[in-house]
Amino acid sequence: VTGRLFRAVLGGAVLAGLVALPRFVSPYQLRTGTTLLCLALMAQGWNFIGGYAGYAAFGNVAFFGIGAYTTGLLMLSKWHVPFFPALFAGALLSASIAAALGVPVLRLKGHYFAIATLGVAEAFREIVDTWDSVTEGSTGIDLPVKSGGDAFFYWTALAFVALGIIVTALLARSKLGYGWIAIREDETAARMLGIPTTRFKVAAFALSAVLAALAGGITAYENIHVAPNDFFKLEYTLQMIIACIIGGSGTVWGPLLGAAVYQLLSTFVWSHFLELHPTVLGLIIILFIIFLPRGLMDMVRAVAAGAAGHPWQSLRDRLRATRVE
Amino acid sequence: MSGAEVGQIAVNAVLLSGILALVALGFSLVWGIMNIVNLSHGAFIVVGAYATFWLHELLHIDPFVSIPVSMAVLFVAGYLLQRGLINNVIRAPLLATFLLTFGLEILIVNLLNYFFKADLRSVTTPYTGTGFNLGPVRVPYVRLAALGVALLLVVALGVFLSKTRFGRAIRATGMDIDAARLTGVGVAKIYALTFGIGAALAGAAGSLLAMIVPFDPNLGGGYTERAFVICVLGGLGNVVNVLAGAALYAVVEVVVGSRLPALSQAVTFAILVLLLVVRPQGIAGKSFYS
Repeated sequence: VTGRLFRAVLGGAVLAGLVALPRFVSPYQLRTGTTLLCLALMAQGWNFIGGYAGYAAFGNVAFFGIGAYTTGLLMLSKWHVPFFPALFAGALLSASIAAALGVPVLRLKGHYFAIATLGVAEAFREIVDTWDSVTEGSTGIDLPVKSGGDAFFYWTALAFVALGIIVTALLARSKLGYGWIAIREDETAARMLGIPTTRFKVAAFALSAVLAALAGGITAYENIHVAPNDFFKLEYTLQMIIACIIGGSGTVWGPLLGAAVYQLLSTFVWSHFLELHPTVLGLIIILFIIFLPRGLMDMVRAVAAGAAGHPWQSLRDRLRATRVE
Repeated sequence: MSGAEVGQIAVNAVLLSGILALVALGFSLVWGIMNIVNLSHGAFIVVGAYATFWLHELLHIDPFVSIPVSMAVLFVAGYLLQRGLINNVIRAPLLATFLLTFGLEILIVNLLNYFFKADLRSVTTPYTGTGFNLGPVRVPYVRLAALGVALLLVVALGVFLSKTRFGRAIRATGMDIDAARLTGVGVAKIYALTFGIGAALAGAAGSLLAMIVPFDPNLGGGYTERAFVICVLGGLGNVVNVLAGAALYAVVEVVVGSRLPALSQAVTFAILVLLLVVRPQGIAGKSFYS
């Protein structure tokens, strides 16, 4: 009981600190914080399909872009839809598109699914790029400016990330969450047990689209300008996957932890070695995949359980487990 | 569309399909034998292109002569990468190798950008742009020769895999890794050899592409995607599958490219997804090089 109390107090203190953060940091740091939270939101979304259900989705940036464009276009339309309804409309549209695409695409497995989703995202970029009458093509659209908005964007993103944590924690212990894990471990067996695998996978895909679209809408309003090449870029998909893997995919806190580590590292590298930024990004990916493929949460758990043993021992065991001799 | 136009499209498709077969050949080998979708394949192609470019620029070596050089360089690089890095995670879930090769791709492309800048390069020789006319249809010499080199390498790989000891060891490892090990095959080395050959073939493709299209460090990603689509269309299995996939894809690319250039990716991938849903194993696919 004291453990739970301690954790509740700790969690409350961290949350209070995060809520109060805009009072204490510079505008640049605050924007970094918002970017970090939006990345966490996307990573939380990817976690449902990639982490829990085990489907390597490589096109989630499509939903980020659709969320951004829907939010922006609704706010600019003749009805002047306010931000939040527009944001939710974007999330709903993304979820519907994900569900419609998911039915055929989720029949594919492994590499085929990964590349099909990669192609779908690329196709969306081309469509938005050429559909001049609605999206203004490659020029992009300009959203209204939110004055003094930095703290507003930060708090909005923080609220959704907190909501994402709660939803993930609840779902992880629900029939749906256990169903996803069963699908990840052995899809044929899961189907034999009577799990409606298609419906469960589509649910995971649609949920991942919702969170990506929310991040897209917030980022669009914050950046003011939305263009196809900035919002449909593969880099976002990669970032959310990397954040998820670094933190620990298929865990509740992993995506947030991974996003924090990734974004802080990335910001540091960006400000010190601008030209080599992607090189360092590539190195980070390689090192994490080789040495910590199950993410930081796995390490945190091992240390918390006191089962660390010799620090190199577990690493050696892990390398041995996946190496070919 | 006039008859001449149809003829030109057909000739272009044939010439393109040879290069594309070579682009996909190494990718298909690595995928078929080790179940690695090598996302850095396109980056290897670009490295091959730069090797040919610099050898021509600095030492005035003919681009066709530099093909073996870029193949050798990439073979060594590929062998070491597989030995030192990829072999460590090859038995992990597929996302691991997928992301690892993605990391490599980012690393290589960024280093190329850093050292060689993003300027468009091309190799221009005295015979660039020359060709002959086949009635109303134009056939450039360089593309024809590239087709010849590509077909030669396709056949060479086929013979290597079926007739030599190493080739048989590679195929055996792809079919059943444990059985191969029991017969004394050093799997780690064979994997490294396979990846080295895949990289060398990418290098050859890069050398040929350097003569045909202007390139910069970011050209590779598109070729990785093409290689993937070709493998899906043709299926994994043997070199004939690659040729079939490349021919089919070349027709799609040439036709779509001449009708709907802005949506070429969208159309190509729509076809691909449709095909995958109907026939997840490709048109004539098996899982290994058997």
